[in-house]
Amino acid sequence: MKQLAEIMKDIAAQSLSRGEVDLVIGWQKGPLWWQSYPAFIEGNEGNGETGSLTWDSFCVPNLSRYLLEELPERKKVALFVKGCDALGFNQILQDKRAEREKVVLYGIPCTGLVDPDKVESAGLGRGLLEVKRDGDELVFVYDSGEQKAQARDFLYDKCLTCRYPNPVVYDQMLGEAAPVQPEERFESVQELEKMDADERFAYWARQFSRCIRCFACRNACPACSCRECIFDIPEPRWLGKANELSETQFYQIIRAYHVAGRCVDCGECTRVCPVNIPLQELNRKFIKDINELYGEYDAGVDPEQEAPLVTYKTDDPAAFTES
Amino acid sequence: MSLAQEQAFEPLIVAFCCNWCSYAGGDLAGTSRMTYPANVRVIRVPCSSRVSPNLILRAFQRGADGVLVAGCHPGDCHYVTGNYYARRRFSAMRRFLEYLGIEQERFEVHWISASEGSKFAAVMGEVTEKIRALGPNRKLRDAR
Repeated sequence: MKQLAEIMKDIAAQSLSRGEVDLVIGWQKGPLWWQSYPAFIEGNEGNGETGSLTWDSFCVPNLSRYLLEELPERKKVALFVKGCDALGFNQILQDKRAEREKVVLYGIPCTGLVDPDKVESAGLGRGLLEVKRDGDELVFVYDSGEQKAQARDFLYDKCLTCRYPNPVVYDQMLGEAAPVQPEERFESVQELEKMDADERFAYWARQFSRCIRCFACRNACPACSCRECIFDIPEPRWLGKANELSETQFYQIIRAYHVAGRCVDCGECTRVCPVNIPLQELNRKFIKDINELYGEYDAGVDPEQEAPLVTYKTDDPAAFTES
Repeated sequence: MSLAQEQAFEPLIVAFCCNWCSYAGGDLAGTSRMTYPANVRVIRVPCSSRVSPNLILRAFQRGADGVLVAGCHPGDCHYVTGNYYARRRFSAMRRFLEYLGIEQERFEVHWISASEGSKFAAVMGEVTEKIRALGPNRKLRDAR
């Protein structure tokens, strides 16, 4: 992976100095082992910042989303994409919020990213300096030495169910294709479906009652691309400001509904949630139902295809009794 | 809630009816002097696909015990395709509300044409009785 980071630095330095792009979006390391943040590098030769680009097991932020803000003001942008970033990019294309020819995509085959919470709960976080990926293993680096462990035990849940670790769209692929070994992704949705209505309501009310309405789930989402969001507009004021469960339920239901049929299942909503609401279980319910009713559809795979809720067939089935 | 109040429960149903079919169907029911429960509050909308989930949730927030969307039969939409979209979107919405623990009966979709006055009256009666049996809705309601 070290190697890949070096390639990324070279690409960024070259394309900026040649003037091919005026912005490179990648990841850079924060001060702590689990911090890999989005990096925005611009200017002539990147103002010497291209060396800060990195690729490690924590480069989880989905970068495609940033095109919404950056692209209108740029001539051309270079973007590093993992599998889920590429799906997000395609979704933004389908929503006509980006022009393909204004973006240069460098594809990164992804072998899954590490959930810092899992490292901490395994008791490995104390004194940890760095986590390196070595094939199927992780190497935890401490002052006192190194420790190895199976990588799959520490990956994000969303990475364990990932079906597109290799970018579906790119101009240049960096590295060999990653293995695709997804676990069943609808298991938790099916568990919830087995409960009765009151139990389910209580479950979700408990989850939603933690929501602080920070809108991180909306802001991180590549499918939430409206220029004007109904949660922001003052008139009509759909969402009130009060700390009231029904307002939160309104927000959560409408947020999930607005990305129904367009959610690429990248799981960024769940990851960025500061209060650990399993938002992906909401999005996946829509994915599962729409697949069952209107045919298998994977958002973000083919931007030329129509999203299932913006099209129809005359002989569609319905989830209500038609007479 | 005391027993006396429980017995006095009268469900509140909000029915979004499309202007071209179901609202006219309701008119026909009225001009034909058919009776249907006064629990139903009809809101006229241009098309069943005009009804956004915001409106459905707002109805529940402000005290509806059941919400009904009624539109033209598929193929008969005044705007040609509106109800085809509505069918997909409300199917997804209905299953989603059930997933969140809202009983399926509380959100219904029906196709009622302008000539189906008796169907309009019958559907309103059925929906009202179903919700009466379910009892008042507290889920999603704004408690303030």
